[in-house]
This record gives sequence, C-alpha cells and structure tokens, in this order.
Amino acid sequence: MSDVAPQPEAAVAAERLTKRYGSLTAIEDLTFSVAPGEVVGFLGPNGAGKSTTMRILSGTMAGTSGRAAIWGVSVALNPAEAKRHMAYMPENNPLPEDLRVEEYLRLRARLKDVDAGQVDARVNQVMEDCDLVRRASGRLIGQLSKGFRQRVGIADALLAQPKVVILDEPTIGLDPHQILGIRDLIRSLRGQMAVLISSHILHEVEQVCDKVVIINRGRLVAQGRTDDLRRELLPHAGFTVVTKASQAELTALCTAAEPAATVEAGVATDLGWSRYRVILPAQSPARETLATTLLGAGLPLREIAEERYGLEDIFLAATRRTPAEGRRS
Amino acid sequence: MRHFRTLLAHELRTALLSGNTWASAALFLALMGGIHFFALLECSRAPQPWTPVEATFRLFWLPLLCVLPLLTMRSFAEERRSGTLSALLTTPASTAAIVWAKFLSAWLTWAAFWCAFLLFPWLVDARLGTVGDQRLSDPATLFGGLCFVLVSGLLHVALGILCSCLTRSAALAALLTFISLLGLTAVGGAMESLPIESWSWLGWLREPAAHLRTFGHLQDFAGGILDSRPLVLYVTGMMLSLGLAVLAVEGQE
Repeated sequence: MSDVAPQPEAAVAAERLTKRYGSLTAIEDLTFSVAPGEVVGFLGPNGAGKSTTMRILSGTMAGTSGRAAIWGVSVALNPAEAKRHMAYMPENNPLPEDLRVEEYLRLRARLKDVDAGQVDARVNQVMEDCDLVRRASGRLIGQLSKGFRQRVGIADALLAQPKVVILDEPTIGLDPHQILGIRDLIRSLRGQMAVLISSHILHEVEQVCDKVVIINRGRLVAQGRTDDLRRELLPHAGFTVVTKASQAELTALCTAAEPAATVEAGVATDLGWSRYRVILPAQSPARETLATTLLGAGLPLREIAEERYGLEDIFLAATRRTPAEGRRS
Repeated sequence: MRHFRTLLAHELRTALLSGNTWASAALFLALMGGIHFFALLECSRAPQPWTPVEATFRLFWLPLLCVLPLLTMRSFAEERRSGTLSALLTTPASTAAIVWAKFLSAWLTWAAFWCAFLLFPWLVDARLGTVGDQRLSDPATLFGGLCFVLVSGLLHVALGILCSCLTRSAALAALLTFISLLGLTAVGGAMESLPIESWSWLGWLREPAAHLRTFGHLQDFAGGILDSRPLVLYVTGMMLSLGLAVLAVEGQE
C-alpha cells in the first residue's frame, strides 16, 4: 500500500450521491463522510439503499450523479487508485468454494498490490487476527461454516492494510460468540482505519461505532454521534414511576417541578400500586431532581427509573422523520 | 500487468482442477479420435485423394460447436451467479485484465486439447507411415491445420467469453456460444458454396465473402499459404469481442 498520499479530511466522502434505475430512485442526494480512523454505522430499513451506496463507494457500481471519494480519490474518475485505499466486503460475502483459505488470501493479497515479499507475512497476520490459523487455513472455503466464511471475508478486507474498510452486514447469520469476536475485531481497527459498517443489529452498532448515518428510502435522515442524535431526535426524557398516588396528585407534583411535564395514564399493578410514565423535556433540570421531589412530598413510591433510549429508539425516530427534516438537522 | 499474470495463473490452475475441463477434454478427444479412426478406416479400404489428417481437420467445426461452448460457458456466468465477480472487481485489478486472463486461459486450454489430439496421427504415422500408396499423415498439413484452429480459435474463444459475460446462467451462455459459432461457421461455409461470382447483383458481396470463407482459410493454412487477411479477420474479431466483453462486465456490475 502506498503511504505517500497525505491524510485527507474525510476517508470516505459521499456528496449528493444519487442512483436511479429507470424510474426507480434507489438513493438520492446522499451526503455524508467518515473521518480517518473513525468507525461509522450505516443504518436503514431493508431497501433503504445501504448496499447500493456501499457498492457505489466501493467502485463496483456507478452512481447516476454526485461524487464518491475514498481517501480523497474519486471512485468514478480513478477507480484503481481508490480501490488501493479501500477494502469492501459485500453482503453475503461471496467466496470461491473450491479454493483453500490460505490460497484464496494469497491470491487476494497479490491482486491488492501487497508487496511480493510481504504476501506470506500479511496472510499469516490476518489469519491470526481473524482466528483462522488453526481451524480453517488449510480447508476448502466451500466446507467452512458461515462464521468462518465471514472471518475469511474480513481477513480479506484487512489484508492490504487499507485506509478504508467497508463492511456490508458483516455479522449476518453469526452466533453470539462469533458476533462478539467480530465486534472486538472491528473495535481494534478504530484509529487505524476508517470503517463503514452496515448492520441490522443496532445494539452491535451502538457498541462499536463512533457515529451513525441513517438513511430511509434512499435519503439521509440523520447522522452524527449517538448522544447528539439522542438529544436531537428524542427531546424528551421518560420516567417509569410506580406509586399509590393518583394521576392528578402525581401530575401536580411533577408540573410544580417542571411546568412542561406530562404524566401518562397509569396501569394498576397490585394492591393499589399503579405504574405511570412521566415525560420531561430532556434538558429540564427537574430530570435530576424528580426522585427527590416525589420522595420529599411523602408520596408512597415503590419504583422510579429513567428510561434509557438506545440506538433502536433513535433509529425508529429517525426513520419516521422526513428527508427534509434530516437535511435541516 | 502484475494483476494479469496473477489472474492468468489463477485461471489456469482453476481450469486444471476443474472437472468441467477434464470432461470437455474427454469429449473432445473421443470425438476427434473417432473422426480420425473412421478416416483411417476409409483410407485402408481404398486410396483416397486426401490424408486422414486432412479429413479430420475438415470436421474442425464439430468439436468447435460441441466442446468450445462447454469450455467458455462458466468463465463469467458462474462468477456472476455466485457473486465472486463483484468481489474480484473490488480489487485494483482492471476489468480488461480479468477478461484477458479468462480469455487466454480458455484459449490455452483449447490449444492444449488440439495438441493432445495430434498425438493420434503422430502415433499412427510413427507406427504405420503408409497403407499401400496412401500416406496417413503429412507434417505440413498437421502443422498448417493446427495453426488454423489456433488462429481461428482466437475469435471463437473470444466469442465464447463474450457470450458468458451476457448472462448468469452457464447453460444459456453455452447455448449463445453454440448459436454464435454455428452462425459464424455456417456463414463462412455458405460464402464458399454459393455461386456469388455468377450473380452480378451480388457483386458487392464478393470481397467480404472472400474474407469470410472459413474452410478456405483452413485449406490455405494446411497448404502452407500464410495469408494476412484471415489473420486480420480473426485478430480483429477477437479484439472486438473482448472489448465488448469488458463493456458488458462493466455495464452489468
């Protein structure tokens, strides 16, 4: 790999990327970037255009308009140079069935311009990193389990130590142990290379990624750090409160602490206890003092817990909003 | 160039280990061996104005139509079906390098088939030499015939590669190749059989017809006549087919 290229501002840059198949628009005006060394989750419902975007970025498909660049090199104008900086693992990870793992990785290393003298060392290194040495290196790819095939795909992606790695659903079909292994592997890449990863397992993405890009129906609806998106897309904080007080009593106490507070109707649980949902603005100071306020008022209180909004809630909120809202944000 | 060499070595290795190649080789050798055997049988019954090798080469279109499609059908169709072509295109290797590597591998395999067949007449010649006054083999005819199938093979194999680029189904690719080669050979044969010379209204066709007479090219090569026109025809046809194949792969991916 050539190291002479200066580090660009964005390792991956998509600028107003559009792809149309006749009258069908797969992606439209998609603009986002991935900084060098950053791990970014690329999310969207099925058919949102994730794979199309990834294929355009990897140079295996031409966009209709817009610009895709890898390490500052235009994918459309200089595909060979862009591909030298990048590795792409497509969805379903197609591999030749009749090659042995080691043979396949050697072939890929030579095709990816790894120095002839370094091929063996790199192949051994990635097989070690992906835990392929003992159980898979000499086996035919066609005989490998889904988990090992995924590891071969990731080993292939890491072979030439690219600046950018694009992984389309790398954990699809894997068992929890294998997912854990791949998660750790991706985590270890942070700071070394930019990783753009698409996955439906939002919990995985939340644990691994620095940032997320969410698209819906081919358009960008949100991008940024998870905490920022949580504040932007979920401006309320929810509390579960289990008490013997009536809804009116609870509402009176909550609105005294925060005038914008609302209390959703309670569900009777047992022996006179009811479960309520109290909603406060996310930035309200009452969020910090709600428990003290309720206890201080002598309210019979059995439970109070703040609801934790995960990436799943962010994703659902983002995919409900319109593309115009996404662009404005 | 480094990518091309790597890809060619990979393709040749794949061809060598593929059951499809060995099945095609067996079919080819059985077919050609059978034809040669019957030509020898004819010569042993009565002297013929032709040698068995000449007669065998005259039927070059039979393995061309029956075996060549089997050799080239999987080259791209199978890789597109399994998705490995997409993975290959994510490397810095150019589409042209991929197409040329697959073409050259298939052509070398085709050439190896013909060279293997030549062992038959060589062994017969070494063992018998002549039957009565009838010569069984002629090194010049052998060499000329081989040159013809190798040179015309450039276009034929390139057509097979192009057909394989157009579909994800290997069977459909084989059918398309069969139809293309049948058309090419039939047109070449028809150009020689039709009395174009005597049809004044077809005068404009004389010159192109002279270029396309496939069997005439075989006779020329076997007779030791090295005409540049068939060379140009087959090489330009090959370049055109491979160029279209590159465009087809890039367009579809």
